[in-house]
Amino acid sequence: MTQDIRVTIDTAALRHNVATLRAAVAPARVMAVVKANAYGHGAVECARAFVDAGVDWLGVADLDEAVELREAGVTAPVLAWLHTPGETFERATAHDVTPAVSDVAQLEAAAAAGVRAVHLCVDTGLSRNGAVAAEWPEFFARAAALADRLPVEGVMTHLSNASPEEDGAQVAAFLSAIETLGGLGLEPRLRHVAASAAALHFADVGQGPVDMVRFGLAAYGLSPFPDRRAADLGLRPALTMRAPVTTVKRVPAGEGVSYGYVFRPERDTTIAIVPVGYSDGVDRAASDRASVTIGQRTYRVRGRIAMNALVIDVGDDPVEVGDEVVLFGDPALGHQGAEDWARAFDGITYEVVASLSARLPRSYA
Amino acid sequence: MTGTAPETGTAPDVGTATETGTAPVAERPAAGYLRRATIDLAAYRANLTSLIERMAPVEVLAIVKADAYSLGVDVLVPEALAAGIRWFGTVEPEPAYRLRREGVGDDASYFAWQLGPDEDWDAAVRLRVDLGVSTLEQLEAFAAAARAAGPGHEALVHLTIDTGLHREGCLPADWAEFVTRAVELRDEGVVRLRGCFSHVSETSEADDHAASLVFRRALDDAAALGATFEKRHMSSSSAGMEHPERRFDMVRMGSNGYGNPVTEGVTAADRGLRPVLTVSACVVRVKRVPAGTGVSYDYTWRAPRDTTLALVPIGYADGVSRRAQHGVEVTIAGRRHPIVGRVAMDQFLVDVGDHDVAVGDEVVLFGPGDRGELTIGEWADLTGSVPEEVSCRIGARVERVYTGGRA
Repeated sequence: MTQDIRVTIDTAALRHNVATLRAAVAPARVMAVVKANAYGHGAVECARAFVDAGVDWLGVADLDEAVELREAGVTAPVLAWLHTPGETFERATAHDVTPAVSDVAQLEAAAAAGVRAVHLCVDTGLSRNGAVAAEWPEFFARAAALADRLPVEGVMTHLSNASPEEDGAQVAAFLSAIETLGGLGLEPRLRHVAASAAALHFADVGQGPVDMVRFGLAAYGLSPFPDRRAADLGLRPALTMRAPVTTVKRVPAGEGVSYGYVFRPERDTTIAIVPVGYSDGVDRAASDRASVTIGQRTYRVRGRIAMNALVIDVGDDPVEVGDEVVLFGDPALGHQGAEDWARAFDGITYEVVASLSARLPRSYA
Repeated sequence: MTGTAPETGTAPDVGTATETGTAPVAERPAAGYLRRATIDLAAYRANLTSLIERMAPVEVLAIVKADAYSLGVDVLVPEALAAGIRWFGTVEPEPAYRLRREGVGDDASYFAWQLGPDEDWDAAVRLRVDLGVSTLEQLEAFAAAARAAGPGHEALVHLTIDTGLHREGCLPADWAEFVTRAVELRDEGVVRLRGCFSHVSETSEADDHAASLVFRRALDDAAALGATFEKRHMSSSSAGMEHPERRFDMVRMGSNGYGNPVTEGVTAADRGLRPVLTVSACVVRVKRVPAGTGVSYDYTWRAPRDTTLALVPIGYADGVSRRAQHGVEVTIAGRRHPIVGRVAMDQFLVDVGDHDVAVGDEVVLFGPGDRGELTIGEWADLTGSVPEEVSCRIGARVERVYTGGRA
């Protein structure tokens, strides 16, 4: 059950990862992205750990997330970039949050609200947030006109990771935006283009103008690349998800197990029930494909993952009620990695952690 | 819709982003919200009332596990009480303990069956929470807590029989010993035999029929050993509807209560039910892009023509599956538009063509279906899921908004 599931976050690993990433991109500043409940790791606690580890900035998607950090007493600079239509930014001023703005309307609202500064968000190809090139003249001119009372502290874009060529084209477009800003007398001191994948992909992040690097997944010790383990990047996964076995049962060959009876063991076997299901954020599509560990032994999830339970086949091993099952954690310790679960439902590592239910109790060590 | 047509909406022969990037200009004021799960409490109450009437005289137990499928157990339980529900299933005991402590539904029964190795048996006794027990160890521990609590306290026990699902439940081979001990503890006055229950696999009619025979046999064997039960229950939503002979004394209704019949080919309307949940978000950006523009991570989709994209601020961290792409359609102002490119953690893009869509417009992912939108069942089918998973995985960032009045 939910209260028996133990999601633990190793804050020493968070600090180690930040140190590793900082060294990789020095002298650039480092932003730790703690949106989506810190990728499922718990926003406030992770923000504190990252600040302790010396990150310069924290990044979130929306102002609600920023306010949550402030109300918990986090005082580091916070950038938020995804805004409600008609956002007034009064909350940003009240809580000293820096908005990244994507259009003139947001710029005007931020100025009217008296926020401390803004970052300008430009779309260089991802087609999501940010002003597209045709909008730059008007957008940048308005920013220049307001700059006396609304400093333009930063300019940012986000890469598609489509290919080195595509990302290179985006960096070139970003340079062009910076040049345009320069022509208007705006020289933002924080130019940031890279996120985890980009920063680690291009050892020479210096190819673009990089005053700051935004780290999301990598800060949690997970690899943004499907084909590279975190350890290869010098990172340590911080999150481990565990739950106790609640039932052990011997099942004769040929009998069905769990909904739909999609698993029928070919020989007599022992199954163990683990009180974790899709309502906890485990993707049902991992049914019959994912694995877990008990001690140093790895066992397959069998049958359909249910709302609050999954079944593992432990063969003839002496597994008992109360034994600790590790769903995923640090592969260096013999656990399944979040990336292994991602493969089990044809998803991505990001999803595995970011989908973990906010209801799960998390503990920090 | 009062906005103007996009200024560049029909611009022909556009080349680079620089030339065509002007977003459509809307006159309507941009306002709104980011992400919302709207829960229609009137529909929820009506569904339960309808189920109670149809199942009568059989009791209806409302399943409110997993925070009522993430819709908010604290809000939904009082509504269910108002609709006449007197039994609730929480799977885990903890929410039941909490609701009891808060005095919610003092005259109702709470039933939980997924017990931990360190279950708080004393809480179950003192808070009068019914537990489904599967092993002698659980039975003894529950009874011991009642004994220790002293006169006036009893363990409210449902004996769980495994009729084939192989999750919780006593195997038939161990049933006689299990029941015999339960009868002894009942006679001692520390156990009350409230129920006998099972889960069925819903694999096939033949398998479920076989499970029902095992259940009947278990009841007969228990009777021969002197055990009778206040509530015998094995059926959940679909079996409860389709097989009156398997209702026994109580049926456990989860999906039906939320207006999502799980039986293949059966719609909510067929069952006289209404889906209670709508998930929506508001457009936060609109941009005109030229043919060939790549969209979102990995550029898995490129605009086949000049078009307008709308950015929708809800992503997989909010429970929108990454499988919801390429062909899954959302609804804006009654019109369907496809999701294009990868669903990201916080957002996805929609190709709205040359239609008039502006910042602040509401985007409905799924709902009851009467505004042209997909139903949760259709959404689940398109994303390789089931409605229960779609509902349960709606994230904490999605604001819950309750409509239909509080009872």
